[in-house]
Amino acid sequence: MAEQKQTQVVVLGSGPGGYTAAFRAADLGKKVILVERFSNIGGVCLNVGCIPSKALLHVAKVIDEADALSQHGVKFGKPQIDPKRLVSWKDGVVKRLTGGLAALAKQRKVEIMTGEGQFIDDHHLKVTTDKGDVTIEFEHAIIAAGSEAVRLPFIPEDPRIFTSTGALQLPNTQCNMLVIGGGIIGLEMANVYHSLGAKITIVEFMNQLMPGADVDIVKPLHKRVEKRYQNIWLETKVTAVEAKKDGLYVTFEGKNAPTKPQKFDQILLSVGRSPNGHRIGADKAGVQVDERGFIAVDHQLRTNVDHIFAVGDIVGQPMLAHKSIPQGKIAAEVIAGMKHYFEPRAIASVAYTDPEVAWVGLTETQAKAENIPYEKGVFPWAASGRALSNGREEGITKLLFDPTTQRVLGAGIIGTQAGDLIAEVALAIEMGCDAQDIALTIHPHPTLAETVAQAAEAFEGTITDLYLPKKKKSDKQRAA
Amino acid sequence: MSSQIEIKVPDLGGASEVDVIEVMVASGDRIAKDDSLITLESDKASMDIPAPQEGVVTQVKLKEGDKASQGDVILLLEALPSAEATKQSQQQTTKTETTSADANQTTEQTIVVPDIGGATDVDVIEVMVTPGDQITKDDSLITLESDKASMDVPSPYSGTMKSVVLKVGAKVSQGDAIAVIEITDAAANQAAPIQPPETVSSETATKSSTPAATPSSPTQQQTASSNEIYAGPAVRRMAREFDLDLTQIIGTGPKGRIQTQDVQHFVKQRMQAGRGVGLSVPTPPVVDFSQFGEVTSQPLTKIKRLTGENVHRNWLTIPHVTQFDQADITELEAFRQANKHHAEQQGFKLTPLAFIMKVVVKALQTFPQFNASLDPSGQQLIYKKYFHLGVAVETPNGLVVPVIRDVDGKGVLALAQELASISQKAREKRLMPNEMTGSCMSISSLGGIGGTAFTPIINGTDVAILGISRASTQPVWQHDQFIPRLMLPLSLSYDHRVIDGAEAARFTQYLADCLGDIRHLVL
Repeated sequence: MAEQKQTQVVVLGSGPGGYTAAFRAADLGKKVILVERFSNIGGVCLNVGCIPSKALLHVAKVIDEADALSQHGVKFGKPQIDPKRLVSWKDGVVKRLTGGLAALAKQRKVEIMTGEGQFIDDHHLKVTTDKGDVTIEFEHAIIAAGSEAVRLPFIPEDPRIFTSTGALQLPNTQCNMLVIGGGIIGLEMANVYHSLGAKITIVEFMNQLMPGADVDIVKPLHKRVEKRYQNIWLETKVTAVEAKKDGLYVTFEGKNAPTKPQKFDQILLSVGRSPNGHRIGADKAGVQVDERGFIAVDHQLRTNVDHIFAVGDIVGQPMLAHKSIPQGKIAAEVIAGMKHYFEPRAIASVAYTDPEVAWVGLTETQAKAENIPYEKGVFPWAASGRALSNGREEGITKLLFDPTTQRVLGAGIIGTQAGDLIAEVALAIEMGCDAQDIALTIHPHPTLAETVAQAAEAFEGTITDLYLPKKKKSDKQRAA
Repeated sequence: MSSQIEIKVPDLGGASEVDVIEVMVASGDRIAKDDSLITLESDKASMDIPAPQEGVVTQVKLKEGDKASQGDVILLLEALPSAEATKQSQQQTTKTETTSADANQTTEQTIVVPDIGGATDVDVIEVMVTPGDQITKDDSLITLESDKASMDVPSPYSGTMKSVVLKVGAKVSQGDAIAVIEITDAAANQAAPIQPPETVSSETATKSSTPAATPSSPTQQQTASSNEIYAGPAVRRMAREFDLDLTQIIGTGPKGRIQTQDVQHFVKQRMQAGRGVGLSVPTPPVVDFSQFGEVTSQPLTKIKRLTGENVHRNWLTIPHVTQFDQADITELEAFRQANKHHAEQQGFKLTPLAFIMKVVVKALQTFPQFNASLDPSGQQLIYKKYFHLGVAVETPNGLVVPVIRDVDGKGVLALAQELASISQKAREKRLMPNEMTGSCMSISSLGGIGGTAFTPIINGTDVAILGISRASTQPVWQHDQFIPRLMLPLSLSYDHRVIDGAEAARFTQYLADCLGDIRHLVL
């Protein structure tokens, strides 16, 4: 007989959506059990996603910046890289954060149960733990079971082929590596491996890197990496991978495909993530899961079963921690009887590549596809004193506006720290700011954040470009 | 011709220095006899001062905030050539046709749709005038309804409707013709010259037509989808919490942004408007009683406050009707007297109430709509298959209503005993909350004290309550003579949404029959 437990709220999955939901529910007076299949809580984000990748990206950036200084009269020796120490430092960062989470759970008396959770019916969840099965009877459930990296069926199982999870262990940084999929995750890992010494080839099925972002915003990144990487093959796909002892032989097809199979030492698969909706016995609880594994929810994160909620990757795109976190909060608040809704006007996307690429709200691609009228204001960082001082003038800040109301509809930013800059535009969209609101807000100088105000001024035609190394270029910008 | 007349404040019943709280006319207005000119307000009452005759206002002497006494000049009125004559001609026009009026004094005017806040193709949902109608300025002519609001279009003139152009269902925009009116005096011509539609809202005579049309305009702003609403996330969340449509709220922030205060203001207004519909009462005046004599104050007990809340809610929300009847309990009383020793031997009293409870349950079984509750939506009646009765008990702390369960399964002695013990418990403040819930109907007996009838307020979610007053010996006409009978007054208050008057009359009649002959109980 399985052990029996009762709780008001059970949360399945301890990623950012899950732990936030659990903590918020506990803070609102609910008895909460948080179920996690892995020994560490924190989910993909903390353990094998956002956080460890950012630790490695930070290292990559420092290496590249040190190298860049050699052209400005400061020369360092070639870096000595000890991947084992690097991985253990990265793991230390993760451990600190997950340990912090465990402490936060304890303070709130949220019980963490380690084991795989499966619904038995609409009020019971069975958790398979080391010490046997536990049945949890719950009043409300929040499904935050996340997603996992997609594997392609024709690609063989081989230790040299891995997804982002495996890549974070840095098995071999001195190699010839193929990255399948030129989206955010693939480009971030390519960035890390290249800086640590690997040769990179990227293959992407679509006609641009980072599909979803506007081409003009991605272009500076493309230009930078195409000089550094071996190959970037767009509109090309992998049709076969043969694992031989001396290497992985990959056959390509498409616009830029090499005719013969190419040999690589290692392959990173970054072709997307698929939700875990089919792995939790949702049907037993009567929760509908679509064929891809997504669970549909309403604006209060409620599934088709009234007392069962779902948040995060499992409820649909975008699969982002900063979407899951507010969803987790709202699900908990709704369970606690609050009349809250998840209805943001915009959720930013950020690629922590070097340079960073970030966009929020309307993109030009989307506006054109949906016939949404817009006008834009663009500020090239070549006119930013701060960007020049940083030695990184390739950035662009672009804002899209409603031609009638002049309200900001979206933004695309590329450049160092673009991910931090985009938050201001997210706020502006939520608050319904127009170009003048942004332009008249005094931005400290000299900062990269200034470029947001300058893009608004460019739209308004009030820009004066005080720091203008190349006057001609800026005039052209103004005319545009 | 015309002459200036001073209109003075009439006899105010001795009051002087009375506040002028509203001035309803402006210079240039054409007024008819009995139109309200100003509103005065004294400590005791407010009153409108009507115009003693018709004419055109040339100067208003009083303004809001002034203090007025009898004889003060309110305004100067330019009388019409002959007030009497015009009156007559007006009366004639209603009877005869237009030709009877003097040509100089008769003009036809086409009344058009005024500025309706830019809305176009607005539905005409009601036409309130027909040709031949005698109307005064500001009388409603038609009702328009847009997506957002409906509004009455007032007449800018007084006169006789000649023809009505619009029909219900028509779609109109600003400037469309509504009707043709025949204006029966020259003054109106001066005051309301023919104007193009654009200037309908300009000054002079049509002044008052503008405000009538504009209240709806704020809500007529362009239809805004939720994404176009100019409000931050905190305001949007607040609107969700109050179930508000942000498109209905006017932002007062920069560029019309909706701010937290706007939402709060809107909610407040809505609540006040709701109050106007009639649920709440005007707050009583604050009176310092110590000015009349010595006073002390003492807080209400908790029970009193809670009871107060409940009776107040039920008094406001349930349409009560009270049915009075009398039951002949002569036989019942004799039976009770003959058997009360059974109870006394066991240490309690055999009260009439125990019998009444039994009879009430019998009546509930016969009239199941009395053993019911209205669900909160007001759409469904919930019938109960159990018979629990509440009994109002007076305690030193206030009124409590303990509930005696399953009365249908208990005998009169058992009920009497339970009544005694629960009343005891109530007085000793030992009643548990669950002993005061679940009643089907309640009985409030003042029979031990006195009175001939009263109107009890329904308890909890019941649909009726039975009040019992003091039984007294009355002459009753039977077989050609008055005979003395012991009569028990019954007062049944019921929820008129659920129970009809006839049903209530039958119910009390049934109670009276059963109490009159308790053999009915075993039928």
